[in-house]
Amino acid sequence: MNEILAAFEQAAMRPLAYAREYKRAHGSRVIGIFPMHFPGELAHAAGALPIVIQEDQEPITVGLGSLFSFYCGYNRSVVDQALRGEFEFLDAIMFGDHCVQLLGTADILRDRAPKPPILFNQLITSLSAPWAEEETRKAFAQLWKELEALVGHAISAEDAHVSIRLFNRNRALIRQIYQMRREGRISISGRSLQLIVKSSMTMEASAHCALLEAFLAGIEMRSPTPRGVRVYLSGHLCQAPKPEILDLIEECGGIVADDDLYHGYRFVATDIDETGDPLDAFARWHLERNRRVPCPTVSDEKADWDQFLLGAVARARARGLIILQVKYCEPHMFFYPEIKETFERAGVPHLLIETEHEQMPMEALKTRLETFMEIVKRKAAA
Amino acid sequence: MQTTMERMAPNAASPAFGDGTRANRLKTTKQGGKLVNDYWSDLFAAKDDGRKVIWYNGTYIPPFFHAHDVAWVHGEAWAAYLAAKHGELPAQAAGELRGYDRELCSYARTHIGQALIDLRDLKEGKLGIAPDDPRALTMAKLPPPDMLINAYPYCSSGQQWDEITYRLFGKRIPIFNVSIPLLWGGRPDAAYLRGEEWNERSQYVAKQLRAMCAFMEEHTGRKYDWDRLSEVMGFVKKAATLRMEAMELCTARPAPASFFDWIVSIAHVNFLPGTQSIVDYFQAVKDEIQQRVANGEGAVRREKYRLFFDGMMNWNKVGWLADKFASVGATVVAGRYTHMSFWQEPELVDLRDPVLGMAQNYLICPNNHGAPIMIGEINKLCDKFEIDGMVMHASRTCRGMTNSQFLIADSAKRHSRQALFFEGDVADESFYKDEMLNTRLEAMIETMDARRRAA
Repeated sequence: MNEILAAFEQAAMRPLAYAREYKRAHGSRVIGIFPMHFPGELAHAAGALPIVIQEDQEPITVGLGSLFSFYCGYNRSVVDQALRGEFEFLDAIMFGDHCVQLLGTADILRDRAPKPPILFNQLITSLSAPWAEEETRKAFAQLWKELEALVGHAISAEDAHVSIRLFNRNRALIRQIYQMRREGRISISGRSLQLIVKSSMTMEASAHCALLEAFLAGIEMRSPTPRGVRVYLSGHLCQAPKPEILDLIEECGGIVADDDLYHGYRFVATDIDETGDPLDAFARWHLERNRRVPCPTVSDEKADWDQFLLGAVARARARGLIILQVKYCEPHMFFYPEIKETFERAGVPHLLIETEHEQMPMEALKTRLETFMEIVKRKAAA
Repeated sequence: MQTTMERMAPNAASPAFGDGTRANRLKTTKQGGKLVNDYWSDLFAAKDDGRKVIWYNGTYIPPFFHAHDVAWVHGEAWAAYLAAKHGELPAQAAGELRGYDRELCSYARTHIGQALIDLRDLKEGKLGIAPDDPRALTMAKLPPPDMLINAYPYCSSGQQWDEITYRLFGKRIPIFNVSIPLLWGGRPDAAYLRGEEWNERSQYVAKQLRAMCAFMEEHTGRKYDWDRLSEVMGFVKKAATLRMEAMELCTARPAPASFFDWIVSIAHVNFLPGTQSIVDYFQAVKDEIQQRVANGEGAVRREKYRLFFDGMMNWNKVGWLADKFASVGATVVAGRYTHMSFWQEPELVDLRDPVLGMAQNYLICPNNHGAPIMIGEINKLCDKFEIDGMVMHASRTCRGMTNSQFLIADSAKRHSRQALFFEGDVADESFYKDEMLNTRLEAMIETMDARRRAA
């Protein structure tokens, strides 16, 4: 098991090194994807290795000459990496999210790190609009065309179906782990589960599936300690929470029962239809995934993130909610007050933790987490 | 509670800065102030008249509302209005109390915060601030919405802001979103007002605007009058044309009007009703500017330098900044916000069927182009107005406007123009650091002086 986790860790924590090596060994193209709404399946169908571009752990240096300090850590890190030349080996970057900060980042990359090209096709964020599905389909159709031009050959519907099936399998395997964790049948750390999801954003999907199958075959059926406090983790869009924070939650007595993190359940929650026109399937997926796990970056009359979270916390039998909010993440900041009020009304304890790329005072956080765990325990005992 | 502005002498630049010269503002802009006040008075009476009220955010879509005889509230304008009257603090405090982080768009925080106050007052039957406070009367008058419409180019926070407003009212007010996608300009034929992407996006936005009118029909029970839209747009187009012609006259030296004159004339092309009044207003502005050109009279009495303002306006610092630049002999002649928006391409609007041209003007708001095309347009303006330097307002919570500012500043330097950055915000005064601007402005002026001496 340790070897499997080490392989996940290799791809999760050093994704660009993994992708460079993959490119060298296989002669394959590598296409970066900005989070959070673009399917890697399309790039895979084009014969490339799709990788979600990650925040790295380096301090921001040269990047601050192009982007203000009041942008989120993800954007600052991406600009910094680009200016350090880290993305030059990529063959393209696919981008279509409507995040005002990321739009700025893309322009900086185009100007100051023009290799690789950015394939920009903006996805609609008004998901209740009558034309939402049609417009999403158009965006993916344009991307399809641009990918064909990039790789120099046609991408068939069957190519897309093969990729969709493979990625669905990968998501289903990860969801199995989630299900077992939710039901308390296994004891797996937040760090390990993050490595599994995050590595799936980089590693070649067949190889990742093989590792997952081996992992599932070997995982010990052992419930977490009953003395722990079951908590639900929410938020942290686009970038992964620092593993040290996940460790600290557990050190302070928490057991992560479930999450809606992008580097977590959000990423694997929704499959793509394996039959019919793949463009239709991609478009429906874009709309459907927000109904499964609501996202504050889109507008959708049929989705309520706060109500979803209340239900998800109950389903996971969690006793408290820990919200991980990236500093300067505007969509999350807009929705946080509503979540807070909903949980206050429901009497479910919650804790907001604001995270930053640098300057995370872990000792202060430890005190807050310990206090939160005590509050949850007392409430449960009352 | 006093604001910084109130504690110091109102409408004066820092006493420790410059030679004390005040900006020579256009006289006609005072008339414009009356039009703005009339608009708000009319709005406050909307419910009494039985008119439906739309709260909207984003681009200048009021002609669609005007033609349908509904009243409209522009969220940004309301926040700017409160900020300009230094009444934004109670609203922002109410927002913060609910948990809205101060790094969020301060327009949104002010607007949502005021809605929170209004909702609380409605529930408790009392005002959130002292009843004898003169601001209370105004704030309490904002009519609640019957419909919400969002039409925000470029900025994702703009859409999320209206989503929150929608949720604040319990999802009971019908909402309509117009998506105005970014013109990324990545395809081979992309250029300003040209190319496949431009054509596709224009049609897409036009289609949504027609659907928006159907939405209004549905919620008012009245048929949309397209002839009336053409009539309203006739006034808007004429006013916009006069505005652009008047701006052209500012190529003269000294510049007869400044960016700050155009700033106080934004409301008229942004959200005031399309009537003869706005045509008369811009005719008067143009006439005064023409007279100033004939007299050799400048917006700054001893113009030595000509600057370009990049970024969103700092609404509680309009007069303050106008005087500050005047006191060092610098005319801020043009700006991205004023000169690259608000019907700057009026000829695109065909009055026989204005929707497509309206959509196209919405698409070219000052930040909705990818950086290469946007910076190309900025450079054209700088060349036209013979700009010496750039003033980059890094508006803390308006990332839509700060996004490409380092690229803009770099481009300016490549064109031998100086650039300075100063921190501030659209409606949150606490981000503004006056002394930092003073130091940087002094340094820029000295550098420009040195360059001239060396030339």
